Amino acid sequence: MAAEVKEKRHINIIDTTLRNGEQAAGVVFSKHEKIRIAKMLDEIGIPEIEIGTPTLGPLERDIIKEIVKSNLKSRLFTYCEASPENIGSAVECGVKNIIINISTSDLHISEKYNKTKTWVLNQLRETISEAKNNGLNFIISAEDATRTDLEFLLKVLHIAQKNRAYRFRICDTVSRLDPFRTFLLISTILNNIDFPIEVYNHNDFGMATANAMASVRAGAVSLVTSINGIGEGTGNAALEEIVMALKYLEEIDLGINTSKFREISEYVAKASARAIPVWKAIVGTNVFAHESGIHADGVLKNPRNYEVFEPGEVGLTRQLVVGKHSGSHTILHKFKEFGIDLTANEANDLLSLARSMSVDLKRPLFEKELMYIYKDYEEKKTASGTGDED
Amino acid sequence: MRGLDLFTEFSKKAGTKIEPKNIKIDDTTLRDGEQTAGVVFANDEKIHIAKMLDKIGVHQIEAGIPTMGGDEKDAIKAISALGLNCSVLGWNRAVVSDIDDSIQCGVDAVAISISASDIHIEHKLRKSREWVLESVRTAVDYAKKFNLYVSVNAEDASRADMEFMLQFARTAKEVGADRLRYCDTLGILDPFETFMRVKTIIDIVGLDIEMHTHNDFGMAIANAIAGVKAGATYINTTINGLGERAGNASFEEFVMALKYLEKVDLGIDTRLFRELSEYVATASGRFIPAWKPVVGANLFVYESELRASTVYQNPLTFELFKPDDVGLERKIIIGKSSGIKTLTIKLKELGHQIDEKQAEELSEIIREKSLALKRSLFDSEIVDAYKSYMCR
Repeated sequence: MAAEVKEKRHINIIDTTLRNGEQAAGVVFSKHEKIRIAKMLDEIGIPEIEIGTPTLGPLERDIIKEIVKSNLKSRLFTYCEASPENIGSAVECGVKNIIINISTSDLHISEKYNKTKTWVLNQLRETISEAKNNGLNFIISAEDATRTDLEFLLKVLHIAQKNRAYRFRICDTVSRLDPFRTFLLISTILNNIDFPIEVYNHNDFGMATANAMASVRAGAVSLVTSINGIGEGTGNAALEEIVMALKYLEEIDLGINTSKFREISEYVAKASARAIPVWKAIVGTNVFAHESGIHADGVLKNPRNYEVFEPGEVGLTRQLVVGKHSGSHTILHKFKEFGIDLTANEANDLLSLARSMSVDLKRPLFEKELMYIYKDYEEKKTASGTGDED
Repeated sequence: MRGLDLFTEFSKKAGTKIEPKNIKIDDTTLRDGEQTAGVVFANDEKIHIAKMLDKIGVHQIEAGIPTMGGDEKDAIKAISALGLNCSVLGWNRAVVSDIDDSIQCGVDAVAISISASDIHIEHKLRKSREWVLESVRTAVDYAKKFNLYVSVNAEDASRADMEFMLQFARTAKEVGADRLRYCDTLGILDPFETFMRVKTIIDIVGLDIEMHTHNDFGMAIANAIAGVKAGATYINTTINGLGERAGNASFEEFVMALKYLEKVDLGIDTRLFRELSEYVATASGRFIPAWKPVVGANLFVYESELRASTVYQNPLTFELFKPDDVGLERKIIIGKSSGIKTLTIKLKELGHQIDEKQAEELSEIIREKSLALKRSLFDSEIVDAYKSYMCR
């Protein structure tokens, strides 16, 4: 591979599996699971973690306190709606960093708060001053920012800047952005006020990861992710997709231990009672499964024909599947694995038998079934005495 | 200055405008969808899917690979004979005998596929660039003799040398191909790269372009849309995004993204989306994730207090389109993030009245129950909790 030296950029990751991830309708993590997930994120090298919403009640606070006491290297954040009285519960939990969320779009201000823009600005100022009085670092999060009047959004950002917020979060709450609009929005903001911008995406039109990458191109320095993309509605930008897309499409390697991705995905899938689709980008078991003759043949000749990175890099393994679309190369390769060297004729005969069995069964074949086909085939050949033993 | 108007600005900069009548869907659920490891459709299922796609309004169906013979060929013949409104296309390698198989199936269009990247030419085909171009010439020339609509598929185009890609496109155009399918075979493009590459081919060679995108890095839809913005006029989609590895651009996501983000309405009957998705999910032996964009069962399900109560007051606060636009329903579920307002709405739906103070106490009881069960509650459990609370 050509050794190209690129300017190293660092992008921060703040994972919200434990906060917005759990907010997904129907998902509840137990205390034990939350602590385990926090430790896993810490272990693979995720720099920042949102660990919960203290105002949800004493049970939630109890879990948050426990995570705070776990001595993780990751920087920990809790989340709250902008209101001075919400600060106390974060302080009680012992966190040093919080996210203060406030809606900025006209629609949300009138329909969600029944208030005015002036109220929003005042509410934010009061909450910030309470956070400062308690010595907290804070990210200001603008909910529904992508449907917000730009002038007003800049006003809110200005308050964040003046008060030395840690970062400013742009939330694409209803997935109003595509990559081009994302790029323009983030660069327009940065042209007006140079401040660390973090972007929070939803996946309603399947563009969460693409929008996150577009915001990085425009100069955003931090991305909000969740494992498996778990979150409200269609979910958020998936941690594993973001890390791999940054590495392979943008050439920004965050040094995260990606070989644990499949394991972490499986853990969160179980804890959230949501299966990992076999076709899930990056961690689905089908990502390195090849059936069709052309693809399997290509992969056997050189994996780079159909793979961008090695399966082991995300904790998966490559599989060749024998089914309706298989070619004779796959059959030859499979039987070689079983210790049987087939002739080209035998491979072709077995291929057509395997294909028609797969069509009948409406699925690919198990390795055992392949062996059964082979045995029947051999028996028949011996019986009719037409073996071509060459 | 409005955040929302940024697109107009971009369009001006990019010098392109999307004309709805120019955008056509070529659905490949039956070809690339079935090519997915582990997926096999029965012929009856293929015919049913073809009919549904035609009814919903797609422009072209990629029905399969005729040269595979047997059942596959029978299914393609049957689909071609249905007399659908849409075009029916057969997939071929750039090989004359493949095209003969397509002709025998009675399709009106063929895709002639060959790799355009040096990696594939060297390591998969083990041939030369010149051999590739010659194969394109021979195959297209042959197909055109039979008056077929011809799409030349540049496999692995996203890793092809751009100079060669232009030569490839020019060759296809010269021998009379109707369009070029730009395949991001490995799903490695991002929208900006996509835009630049597609626009370059259109500007320099001037040929209809079809986008074939994969979702390996979660960018299939964004790249398809970027292609359209660059002037591509055909989009190769699959229902549920079914396809090799992480799959292709999903039909339903692409149509809705185009409609609600780009304001381009293709006239597809989106209300049938959920039904179509369910059918293909069953036929392919795959589930529809509850969180699947556009058709997932969870999309209009609300649990958290603030969000749910706001949506019930005005759906536009958190929704860009209505649930019945895609054949879904809006509902509230009650669990650990529920509060007074959502509980009141839910109980009312279930035929029970509750005042604010009662709702507050009951929601505490319900939160504990939900945490203990590690899930949200069924309607019957909510009514149960309500009754025992009222009778305490």
